[in-house]
Order: sequence, then C-alpha cells, then structure tokens
Amino acid sequence: MTIALHGVSKIFGEGPAAVHALRDLDLTIPQGELAVILGPSGSGKTTLLNLVGALDRPSRGSVQVRGRDLGTLDERGRIDYRRTQVGFVFQFFNLIPTLTALENVELVAELVGTQARPALEQVGLADRLDHFPAQLSGGEQQRVAIARALAKQAPILLCDEPTGELDFETGRHILGLLRRLNRENGQTVLMVTHNAAIGSMADRVIRLRSGAVAEDRRVARPLDAGELTW
Amino acid sequence: MSPLTRKLWRDVGRHRAQFLAVTLTVFLGVVVFAASYDSFQNLQSSYERTAVDFRFANFTAVGGKPATLAAEAAEMPGVAAVQERTVADLPLRIGATELLGRVVGLPPDGQPLVNQVKVIRGSYLDPARDEAVLVEQHMAEHFELGSGSIVEIFDGSTWRAVEVVGVVSSPEYIWPARDRQDLLTSPDNFGVVFGPETLAARLTSGPNQVAVYYRGGQEDAGLTAGLSARARALGATSVFTRAEQPSNAALSEDIRGFEEMALFFPILFIAAAAMAAYVMISRLVHAQRPHIGVLRANGFGRSAVLRHYLGYGALPGLAGALPGAVAGVLLAGLITRLYTSMLSVPVTVVRFHPATLAAGVVIGLVATSTAALAPALFASRVQPAEAMRGETPGGRGRPSLAERLLPPLRRLPIRWRMVLRGIERNPRRTLYTALGVVLSLVLVLVSWGMIDTIGHLLDLQFREIQGQDASVYFEGPVGTAQVAALRDVPGVADAEPALEIPASLSLGGRHYDTTLVVLEQATEMHRFRSVDGTWLELPAQGMLVGKGLEQALDTRPGDLVTVQASGLAGSPQVPIAAFVDEPLGTLAYVSRQAAGAALGTTLPATSALVRYAPGADPAVVRAAITGLPGVAAFEDANALYDTIQRYMGLFYGFVGIMLVFGGAMAFALIFNSMTVNISERSREVATLLAIGVGRRSISRLVTVENLAVTLLGIPIGLVAGYGVSSVAMATFQSDMFAFALHMRPSTLALSALAVVGVALLSGWPGLRALRRLDIPAVVRERSS
Repeated sequence: MTIALHGVSKIFGEGPAAVHALRDLDLTIPQGELAVILGPSGSGKTTLLNLVGALDRPSRGSVQVRGRDLGTLDERGRIDYRRTQVGFVFQFFNLIPTLTALENVELVAELVGTQARPALEQVGLADRLDHFPAQLSGGEQQRVAIARALAKQAPILLCDEPTGELDFETGRHILGLLRRLNRENGQTVLMVTHNAAIGSMADRVIRLRSGAVAEDRRVARPLDAGELTW
Repeated sequence: MSPLTRKLWRDVGRHRAQFLAVTLTVFLGVVVFAASYDSFQNLQSSYERTAVDFRFANFTAVGGKPATLAAEAAEMPGVAAVQERTVADLPLRIGATELLGRVVGLPPDGQPLVNQVKVIRGSYLDPARDEAVLVEQHMAEHFELGSGSIVEIFDGSTWRAVEVVGVVSSPEYIWPARDRQDLLTSPDNFGVVFGPETLAARLTSGPNQVAVYYRGGQEDAGLTAGLSARARALGATSVFTRAEQPSNAALSEDIRGFEEMALFFPILFIAAAAMAAYVMISRLVHAQRPHIGVLRANGFGRSAVLRHYLGYGALPGLAGALPGAVAGVLLAGLITRLYTSMLSVPVTVVRFHPATLAAGVVIGLVATSTAALAPALFASRVQPAEAMRGETPGGRGRPSLAERLLPPLRRLPIRWRMVLRGIERNPRRTLYTALGVVLSLVLVLVSWGMIDTIGHLLDLQFREIQGQDASVYFEGPVGTAQVAALRDVPGVADAEPALEIPASLSLGGRHYDTTLVVLEQATEMHRFRSVDGTWLELPAQGMLVGKGLEQALDTRPGDLVTVQASGLAGSPQVPIAAFVDEPLGTLAYVSRQAAGAALGTTLPATSALVRYAPGADPAVVRAAITGLPGVAAFEDANALYDTIQRYMGLFYGFVGIMLVFGGAMAFALIFNSMTVNISERSREVATLLAIGVGRRSISRLVTVENLAVTLLGIPIGLVAGYGVSSVAMATFQSDMFAFALHMRPSTLALSALAVVGVALLSGWPGLRALRRLDIPAVVRERSS
C-alpha cells in the first residue's frame, strides 16, 4: 500500500474548545489510485491531506506512506519526505509571483535535481515558460502548479480543491490533466474537493463526515473528465 | 466604543510589536525635540536672567583713556550704568602651584554697577580690609579654597598674600576662559580673584577697563557702534560686546548646539517613524482589502473608512508623542539643572513651556497621521465588489533590474533570483527601508563624527601643532638667556622664548582683537598648518594668522594689516604671509626676527615653551621650574589636554545616548519593514515549506533579501551621513574654534557594520514567526 492510516485522530485545541477533525480513522490507498475525498466543510478532508503531506502530525494513530511512518520523522526527515515523496496542488495555486512559470517549476526541480521543462511541456505550457503568474490565466496558473508538483517526480500527488478557483471548462481541463498524469506516470492522486461530481472520474470516492469515513466506495467505471458536469 | 474603534484597538493588539516600534520611534523623536528645545530655552533664559540680575556688561573697552570714556558713556542715551575698573593679569600662587591669574577690581563697599558677582560662600568684600579677596568658584573648587584661605598675587616685584573672604560666581567667568583665543583652560593654569579696586589698581597701573550696561540689559547696535568708535578713538586696544565676551561667546555656541539638535535629530526620528508607520499601515490596508470591501458594502462611507485607517497612524503617533513630550519637558528640566550646576551658572531658570509640549504632541501626531494618509485614501477608494473577491491585484512580474543589467545573474539558482526580485517587488517599501538605513546611519555618523572630530582636533592642536609639553610664564619680560637657563633644569630637553601680546589687528575699518605670538623663526615648539594641510615655516617677513581672520577682516595673503599692541609703541603695518588652520583660536604669529625688525628693537620674552626630555617626570620638572626665581606660572599642556577630555565627558555622554537612540531607531524601522515583508510572504513561505524547502534555507533567503535592502541603504547612508556631519560641524565654525569634520574610516566601517547588525537583529522576530508558521492554514488562505 502507498498510504496507510491506522487509528488516526487529529484534535485541534484543548478542553471544551477541542475540535476533533479526524476520529480514529483507518484508511489505505494503494499505489496508482486516484482517490477523491468528499465531504462538507469541517469534515476533516484537508486535515487528512495535511497529515499525508507531512504538513501536520496526528494526535493519535499512525500515518504510513510507502512503508515509512511519518510520525517517526524529525523535521529534516519531513522536509525530505515533502521534497521527494509528495507533490502539492493548492486551490489558490500558490505560485511565487516574482518567478516565471519556468522558474516556479525550476524552484522545485533544483531541489530534487530534475528538469522543469518536461513537466511544463507535460501540462501543455511549453509556450508560456517565461510568463509571470500575473500574465497567466487561472487555469494556466494551476497547470504551472501541477507542473511544479510533477517536476519532483514524486509518487504521490496531493490536490486540495484544485478546481475551486477555476471556471467549469478550465476545471474539467485540469481534472483531465490530473487523470492523464495519474495514468501515464502511475502517481497516486489524493484529491480533496467539495464537488461531488468530481467523484465520478475517480477510482475511488471516500466521503468523510465529522472526521470519520461515512462512505468508501470504488467507482466501477470512472468517467473521463470531459464527461463531467456540475 | 464603536465597532470600528474596537477593530482598530484589536488590530493594534494583533500587530502590537510593529505599532510599538512606531510608537517608540515617535517617542524618541519627541523626547529629543522637547528635551533639547526646552533645554535651549531654559538655558537661554538662565543666561538672560543672569545677565540682567548681575548687570552683565553689554560693552567693554580695554585700554585707552578709561576715565574719559566712562564719563562720556554715562551721558550717552541708552546707557544704564558704567563701571570703570582695573583688570590685571598677574601670576597667582596657591600653595606650591603657580598659575596664570587675573585680578578684577570691585568696589569694596558694595556690588559694582556693572558685572556684579554672586557670593556663593563667605561674604562680599569688606571696605575695612584692603587685602581681602573673593575667588572665582572654578578656582575655589579646584584648590578647595574658602574663607580664610591664602592666595598670593605677584605684583611685579613680590608675592603679596591676600586672604579669601568669599567664593563667587560671575557672569564673566561662567566658562573660565582667559580670552577668546584661549577658551580652553585648566584650573591648574588659570584662575580669577576679585579684590578691592584699590588693591587691583595698586597691582597694576590703575583702572584700564570700562564696562557699560545698557538700559534693560538689551543689546543696542547703534549704541555699541558709538561706544566702539569712541573707545578706539581714545586708544582702546580692545573692545568687545557681550556676545563677543569669551565666556558668553563659548556658552552661546554651546547652547546653539541644543537649538540645532532640537531641530536636526527629531527630524530624523520623526521621518523614520513616519516611514515605519507608512510601511505598516500600507501592509494592513492591503491585507484587509476584503474587510474594507465588506465595510463599504455594508454602508460605511469613504470618509468613515478614511478616518478609520487614519486612526492607525494617529494612535501610535499620539501614544508616542504624548509621553515623549512630557518626558522631554521633564528631561529638559533635569538637563538644564545638571548643565547649570556643572557650569555653576548663577541663575537657573526652568520653565514649563506649554508650546513645546503642544508642539511635541502635534509633531508626533501629524507625522504618523500623514504617513497613514496615502494608505487610508487607498482604503477609502477600494471598490467593494472587487475587494471582496479577495485577490490583491498582482503586479506584472519581470526580472529584476540587476538581472536585466547583468544577464549572467539570470543563471543564479532560482532561490537567489527570488531574493533579487523580492527587493524590487514593493519598491516603495524597499525605498523606505533603505531610507531608514540612511537616516539611522546619518544619526550615528553625525554623533560619532563629533567624537572623531573633537578627538582629532585635540590631537591636532596638542600633539601636532603645539610641540611644547609646558609653557612657563615669567614674572616680567625676560631676555633669551633666562629662557636658555631652563634647558639646564633636569628633565628639560629644550626651551624656546615666546612673547604673547594682546593686539588689535585692523584693516579697512575692521578690527579684530587677538593675541600676537612672537616665536623663534625656526621654532620647534609650534608647527604651522596651512589651510590646504601642508606645513609652513614661520616667515622671515610678515605674519601667519588664523584663517578666521580671513572673514573677520575680509583679508587675504599679501594684505597689510595694522597691528596695535599694548606696550608697543606705534602701529606697524605687517603683511599677512599666509593663513594657518588651527582648531583653537585665531592667533597671529610672527617671528622674533621679523617683529624685531619691524619695531627696531630686540623683543623680550614673557614665557618659554618647554619640551621634556624622554622619561622625565612632569611633576618633578614642574616643581623644579616653578622653584626658579622669576617664574610666575607653569602650564602643563598634557594636563590641559586631560582637563579638556574631562570637559568632554558630558558631550560624550550625549553622543552615546544619540548612538543608542540611533540604534533603536534603526531597529524599529528595519524591524517593521522586515516583519511586514515576512508576513506578506507568509503564503509563499508556507508554499516553499510545503514543497520541501527547509526552514533554514527560507530563513537564509529572507535574511539575505532583507540584508540586501539594508546594504542598498548603506553606501547612500555613509555618503549622506558624512555630508550631514560636515554641515553640522561647519555650524560650529567661528574665530574661537574651527571644527572641520574628521571622520575615521573605521567609524564609517563600524557604523555600517552596526547597522547590518541591527538589521540582522531586527529580522530575528520575523524569522521566529516564520518558524511558527502554520503551513496548512496559510497555504489555504485566499490571499496573503
């Protein structure tokens, strides 16, 4: 298994103000799967993503990724983990505004010793390399963000509402891109979204409610992104 | 409390460190303003009251026909009182110490009409006791003299013992200067006693001065011109106004420093505070654009938004200015009392000046409110719909100027290119941060420049120009043989004759009273530094004069100047050979040979310049020389140097405080810019952390970017600091002293290093915040 969560709980705050974001969660995601995590606000979707991305630590339980328990990693180990094992795609793209598309990707490529251009070519931005974020559309910015995640050649892609800031057409295009990369590169994609329709293109849909798994189902025949409507 | 006011207070609470930095800078600026301006006003009032209470002469004439002048002056309109008196420069002996002295005649039966004294201890003169004297307090304190002490006065033939009946202060000797050319004296070398006029007259050749006090003590240029003309016509060798009187002139220069400080230093602080406030409030407004949109959408008008954000400037302005003004005014009282007690100014006036308090508050308030104006206007013009979308309009990205100018820089690792572009990202903030560095360096360099300059000038005067270790004053004129005899004293390596004569130099209706110093042509005891820094020889013909004379007489080398000196017959015309650049005084130097030729006589010596043999004990040499017959006083140049260094203690203390204030200002300003810089980048930083860039690496990037901005300001700050220091020192330029800026290269280097240190230190809180950054929360924020 690529990702395995055992009895994971995450509690924010203390005493009466404590918020249980995740409650005793058990979950496994195999290598190469595109899993969509759905749920209302406060259901624990993003917390789950943060734990897998080693951006946060569980209050109880263990998060294992490719056989490694993230809880045992020190700060240096967590940085190495984020650098080599996971790529992030955020809702608000989070590009560095003072760097061009190419440079935003190179930032990561330099870290891990890979090339930036192939990643940008893979997301169809070979002709926008020298554009700064402010000169790109939202969809293009998100593609740069995806290329940045791709450039690491990390086995896991963590996407937090990747279409949340995009219009319908652009959103479908980005989802299609993520699906294509998942199939071509064999990356495990864990995608958090409010949009239930996106679940139709996934291999698996995990629905969270109040920090626990309310539904976990495999999608018999995933749709192409172009077939999605919402 | 309205919701907006509550929001303001809570925002201030959330950003308390930044608001505190602005408040502190305003506080420092207003403290310096109120303290220095009120000190200036208090000291000026103290001197003015002293002048009126003790009827400090508006005009004094020396020599000529004092009785005639006194009678004529008494009839002139505007004259309130005239005092004819005797002032004699005679050697004094206190115990075993012989020093240069001055005996001033006073009416024994009551205070004089002009230049009264304040009895501090003991009593005033007793008409029944002809040989009782009052001693001036500086000398009294140094030699621990009081009623019953004995002081000896050399009357030209014998030492005459007189008894001290009181210790007094005098408006003429608040700063105990011998004359304008000799402002810096040590109590070991110069002291003043006030004796009955009859005693003073007996010690010399009778009354020789006329002191005139004008009605109300007020200056009257017309009256002064009339008196000067009449005094000169009656043969006066020197005339001077109250402003020119040595002690008063030195003190006036000193308190003028307070006035200039009251303007100059606060400007730096207040400008720094305004910039820090601007940086902070601009950032706040940008971060709160969505909130502003919501406010506007819910019916808050533009003016309400404008007022709200102006409050972010007014609050720290008021919070800093109010206590700053109060503290400054209180501090001014302390400074005034400390200053007047150190100098023993007879009258201390400490007044509460409501205008200073009000001005301090207004200055602080206006500065930060003005800084808030641009961001507040921006806030008031925000379009609600656009603002609520939350996207802060992004600037058009482009490679940095450095990369455009130096294309190879484009091959730098991406992280370093981020640093280069970060500097240009918010040009105004970069500019203000760099300006803050400039202001801090200016403040530090102006303060440090004063220390360097004074240290250098004292070294120049006492180590390079003056070659003697001591000056030996004789009881009367002596021949060169008596001077040569000093060379036989154990511990003396060399001795040269010198003659110092009070003289008036005149050219084209202008007069300048100075001292004519006659030295050996090949003197090794005094070096003459030209205005271009080269060393000159004493010429065989003509004289060398201090460069202050260039302005005083509107003269230039080659001009023939009329020299009128007491005790010298005739008024020879002597050409100016060259100007000399000396830090202290504006003296005229002539070689013994040239002077002798001009007067057709062999000139005596009144003093000898002595150099010690290597390893000689100055105390032993002093004892041996003062034990010689005919020696009246001994002035140790090194003791004088040490005394001056001690006088500088208060000044160094002040400069030290300014350096600390400069550091605090730099910290506050750079801290604000850096904190804002880091907080604005929090999403980027969180993203970098998320993608695997280490915190240390990010700290390095942020630190390097902030340092780069600091480094941008440093060369400009060094140049500006040097320039401002030059201007500041030039204001202390007069015929009494010339403070040309001298700044050591190490001062520039250390100041720059100190600012870099402050920048590193001030970035530390921001970097700590970076370590506590909540990555998951920040990467999901809509805008930074």
